[in-house]
Amino acid sequence: MNDETYVVTVQKDLEDLVPTFMSNRAKEVEALRAALDKGDMEKLRQLGHRMKGVGTSYGFEKVSELGKLIEDNARAIDKAALEGCLADYADYLAKVKVVYA
Amino acid sequence: MPEAGEGAAPAPFRVLIVDDDPDMAGFLQMWLKREGMQTLIAQDGDSALVKIMTEAPDLVLCDVMMPGPDGFEICRRVKADESTALIPVVLVTALEDQDSRVRGIEAGADDFLSKPVRREELIARVKTLRRLHDTRKELEARRLAAEVQEKEAIRKTFSRYLSPQLAERVLSDAAGGQSLFRNLSERTAVVALFADLRGFTRLSETVPVSRIVPMLNEFFTVLTAAAHEHEGTVFSMAGDSLLVGFNVPVPQPDAAERAVACGRAMIGRFGPVAAGWAARYGFTLGIGIGIEAGEVVAGNVGAPSFVSYTIIGDAVNVAARLMQNAKANEILIGPRAALSLDRMLGRDTSLDRRELALKGKAGPVGVLALKVAA
Repeated sequence: MNDETYVVTVQKDLEDLVPTFMSNRAKEVEALRAALDKGDMEKLRQLGHRMKGVGTSYGFEKVSELGKLIEDNARAIDKAALEGCLADYADYLAKVKVVYA
Repeated sequence: MPEAGEGAAPAPFRVLIVDDDPDMAGFLQMWLKREGMQTLIAQDGDSALVKIMTEAPDLVLCDVMMPGPDGFEICRRVKADESTALIPVVLVTALEDQDSRVRGIEAGADDFLSKPVRREELIARVKTLRRLHDTRKELEARRLAAEVQEKEAIRKTFSRYLSPQLAERVLSDAAGGQSLFRNLSERTAVVALFADLRGFTRLSETVPVSRIVPMLNEFFTVLTAAAHEHEGTVFSMAGDSLLVGFNVPVPQPDAAERAVACGRAMIGRFGPVAAGWAARYGFTLGIGIGIEAGEVVAGNVGAPSFVSYTIIGDAVNVAARLMQNAKANEILIGPRAALSLDRMLGRDTSLDRRELALKGKAGPVGVLALKVAA
């Protein structure tokens, strides 16, 4: 975790879609948490894979990066690393600021 | 005048987006709508397959990993079904995921879109496939038009030989009737009917030459109408004689009955024509008819520059000899055709059985003679 504020520039055309996108990311953190608590690595891998695909498409590269890490760590069944990823993801979502261009 | 379709709004290009991630589906939908395309969304493999079957989209944009059948399976099923095989399927995969691309190619995918999706790549790929789709539709429309034209040409050709009803039946055959004629260079059972004018020689000596052709045309028009009425196939017209076949090129279980009814109709229809000629030229003409059944060879016979669809065989020869022996307005029926006519003619009082010596036959031939009132 850090004090950095994340600023993401999103295409103006996507403005209407971003609120839903952000709210789905918050739900995603909950789903990741539940899967990790249950030790459901397959679910974690799937969720990570999905984050990887959708993040950068919207302009949120950090979401894709974290998605790839979650996917890889779920494959490796590295729970400690996954805990770190989840903490980073929650922190990122709490701090991210969106600007439209 | 605008051409057909000009001015009318073109049908929208319909894209089915298959993705279990609503954010990704919404993202793709937004860009495609901006390009004026219509979108449908399916969130799992099963509903995608249902939508493909029921909505017939113009393109499927499909994620790989999803609940139910995955993108590869969807692709395989779309390509395996004849009714959907031409719908392009674009698989959305990570650029670095070469394994998925290979599996996608094996499953029949038409193209790939890289994740993360860039708007420019998405639009470029979809537009390319749309152009291909439009070209394919145009070619399909041209092919259909050519097929209609070809069918019309076949119809015109058939109508010279066949009754309109028979021509329709032949054309409704899946192969446009061509298979029927392709297979006909082989033996087939037919009933042959020969008809000609009794007294034609005298007619041609008496009537001015300029009148002969119109009179023959009148005669053949009447006989052809009777042939078509009974769904016979006209094989040849030569001089004043006409050859009609039954049970060819399509089966007619009642071929012999049809031939006799056709012969009667020929004589009946010719009556008023003959009466007109008698009033004008002072002598009465009639029709002689011979009918025989048997196996013949049917097919297109001729040289590359001239081909005639015809029947050749003993039944045709016997029918011709019987016609030559028939008196005016008499139908002579050969022994093989007579076999299947007992029920039809058994109680016919105008029936006469006789033995005839026919050229080319060793012994006398038993024939049925049927006198018909003109």
